[in-house]
Amino acid sequence: MKIGLEIHVQLPTRSKMFCSCPTTDAPAPNTHVCPTCLGMPGSRPVLNRKVLEYGIMLAKMLGCKVADVTWFSRKTYFYPDMSKSVQITQYDNPIGEGGVYYLGKKPIRITRIHVEEDPGKTKRVGDLSSLIDYNRSGIPLAEIVTEPDLSTPAEAREFLGQLIEDIRHVIDLPGDGERSIRCDCNISVGKERCEVKNVTGLKNVERALTFEVVRQTKILKAGGKIDRETRRFDEERGVTISVRKKEFEADYGYIDEPDLGIYHIKEMADSIKIKESPQKMAARISAEYGIDQKMAKQLVSASVGLAETFEAVAKESGVQNAVKWVAGPVSAGWKAMEARGGTPDEAVGIIRRFAAGEITDTECAMEIRCAMTGESAEAAAGASQDLERIVSEYLDQNPEIVSDYAKNEKAANKAIGFVMRNSGGKHSSAEVVEAVKRLIESRMRSHGVR
Amino acid sequence: MTMRDVLSGLKETNARYSMFHSMTDDVDPGDAKFLFSAKDNLTSKDMETCAGSKILIGYRPAFDAAAISKMRDAGGKLIGKCNMDEFGFGTFSYNSGLEIPRNPYDLERACGGSSGGSACAAAVFEGHVSLGVSTGGSICCPASFCGVYGIAPTYGRVSRYGLIDYGNSLDKIGIISADAGDLRRYIRVIAGKDPRDPTSCVQPELRDEGRKMRSVAVPKEGIEGLSKEVEAAFKESLESLKGMGLDVEYVEMPSLKYAMPAYYVLATSEASTNLARYVGMRYGQQEGDHSLKFDDYFSSFRSEYFGDEAKRRILLGTYTRMAGFRDRYYAKALKVRQVVIRDYKRVLADHDAVLAPTMPFTAPRFDDISKMSALDSYKADYLTVPANIAGTPHMSAPCGYDSNGMPIGMQFVADHWNEEVLFDIAERWQRSFEARRPEVKA
Repeated sequence: MKIGLEIHVQLPTRSKMFCSCPTTDAPAPNTHVCPTCLGMPGSRPVLNRKVLEYGIMLAKMLGCKVADVTWFSRKTYFYPDMSKSVQITQYDNPIGEGGVYYLGKKPIRITRIHVEEDPGKTKRVGDLSSLIDYNRSGIPLAEIVTEPDLSTPAEAREFLGQLIEDIRHVIDLPGDGERSIRCDCNISVGKERCEVKNVTGLKNVERALTFEVVRQTKILKAGGKIDRETRRFDEERGVTISVRKKEFEADYGYIDEPDLGIYHIKEMADSIKIKESPQKMAARISAEYGIDQKMAKQLVSASVGLAETFEAVAKESGVQNAVKWVAGPVSAGWKAMEARGGTPDEAVGIIRRFAAGEITDTECAMEIRCAMTGESAEAAAGASQDLERIVSEYLDQNPEIVSDYAKNEKAANKAIGFVMRNSGGKHSSAEVVEAVKRLIESRMRSHGVR
Repeated sequence: MTMRDVLSGLKETNARYSMFHSMTDDVDPGDAKFLFSAKDNLTSKDMETCAGSKILIGYRPAFDAAAISKMRDAGGKLIGKCNMDEFGFGTFSYNSGLEIPRNPYDLERACGGSSGGSACAAAVFEGHVSLGVSTGGSICCPASFCGVYGIAPTYGRVSRYGLIDYGNSLDKIGIISADAGDLRRYIRVIAGKDPRDPTSCVQPELRDEGRKMRSVAVPKEGIEGLSKEVEAAFKESLESLKGMGLDVEYVEMPSLKYAMPAYYVLATSEASTNLARYVGMRYGQQEGDHSLKFDDYFSSFRSEYFGDEAKRRILLGTYTRMAGFRDRYYAKALKVRQVVIRDYKRVLADHDAVLAPTMPFTAPRFDDISKMSALDSYKADYLTVPANIAGTPHMSAPCGYDSNGMPIGMQFVADHWNEEVLFDIAERWQRSFEARRPEVKA
């Protein structure tokens, strides 16, 4: 089975791709429009350069070769929400080509990435009419095309989820970024492929693909032949429906867009440094500091800032302290710190003092808790002593947990479950997990278990 | 003729010549410094803009074209929007869904095209200046047929903001006037960078250093296939130019004959995409069968409201950019354009301009035009097309009259951004050439 995706991502520019209309949510249909995005005769496009910047960032993130020279093309097709009946897109010389993106250890080849304008939206009203809203017309999109390197619908979903996380981080896509990502899914179980157009959301991509696997497999088992065709996904019924056969595929008749000229983007591309994507950061941290991949991934997906703190502490106070304190109490208090708009700097200083032998284990844990949550020292001390007391008592009664833990960390779950139930909801699960593991590990050390 | 006279007689004059599709009702020029008209493919807030097409009837643009607003800012009053071939598709302003302008020297003859109405207005109204647009010769051809001066500046010299596109990589807005001095005067007004048209933003300043035209090259390919009277008038003009002190040398420009097929491929490829937007929604004509599905609706709508020539060019242009044909036609034509540009650069390294007659014949009669095939009229553009595909500035000046009294024109082509030598020769030529004004009646 082969699956390839064409992923459309709305780029977070403030104004549209070829005019100055805003890209924010409009108060009513057809209010964020002008002669250019309505395709009025006599209007013409002016490129928003930010679109090229975002395109370059994504091309770099995907390991593509960024073109030295790029330009735009006209793709002609008739649809009511395409105001000019011509979409300005890229055909020859797209921004990036020939990339590789890793899903874990598996390379997924990226054919190309290009930028283009979004059409408006068509809304059916009853059987006989439709309404068109051009607010979306001209919003910039990046289209990422993969080779058919994905092997299952679940893998496609995983790939898309990871990709979205990376894209969101690299170009600061807003939190609802997943909504603004649409996907064309190409899938072949046998030889011929079908394309399911315009699927929105991770879950639907997996559903649509799974439906296609079943459909195509059934046909092949019955000795039938798969027709090459374009299909669409009906979200409500969870089925794909044929839209047109291959022989009726449009010939878009691409020509160069003469109004925009040629863009020499080499210098721009050289000057753009992209933020490390979360996936790459996790892989690098794991390799660089010799910690296991799972922990590295947990740090990064909790927050890139947390992972950065981990690195800072590892460099300053050693990897061991970074694992013990950043993956522990700093991580536990991270959300609380973000909620009150704090920074991890104070915690980093506390760990420095611990590493220098200025404070004890217990003091360090308590001070970090204060630094992260903003609680007073007394409250923190009380709460933490309280928590530690419950944990210690439980471990005293169930000493086998400590010895089991050496073989399997899951042994801690029993203690964690107990403490959660018996601490009256005063402590977050992250805090409980941290305290249990820390105390188990400190007993292991004193018992000489390793 | 005062501005007031022109305005008060406007409707009657137009009834005779049909130069305007729409025009002002004002009879008082107010504080206008001059009157001007504009080809009807330039958008104007105060007048309907149809580009010669039925499909745009009712289109009232929300914005003025850059060239029109600059003329207004300079004190000009827009008095009319000039008739033209539909979207610029023609050589005689005869391929129109609207009115067809008549030649001021003989009402049974064409004004040339596609800026026919503009050249007509320039010939008829004294002291009048008109904005024309050239894609493949649409300024010089009508200027030649109507016995006036016309200049298409370098591609990118004048902002195309507000121009209803024919071939975006070829379209140039220029000036047509009976007074050679207007070319310099008004190109200065409308030229300049405009962020709303990125292709206008690479231009160097318009030069005004007193550069003179001293030598011209006459390509052998440019004096083939001429009518006897055009050939005779052109030869006589060459002698006059020599008398004015210009060097005249015959050269060979073998690429010129490839310019024509390449032009029709590029122009129709672009045009067919530009015309895709006319589907009977949003603006202009919208009277269609609304009970049809969208595909059927826009197909029947386009069948009804586009003229034959527009349909022909849509089909040609769609064919030349289809998968499988794109490389053979569209991509090849892009290469030919570079070959033509190189040929001009080679010749213009040693000469100030390339000179040839503007059109191979004088303004034809309407009854003869109706017998011409599409290919016959395409071929008539072979002298104007090369400079247009190269994007080099070119200017037509009246240089004689045939036995019917119809004007003959010659066309100078200068190097990119070098309009100044064209202004110079136009002004000097005007002082030595005795132009005959048409006998104007209202």
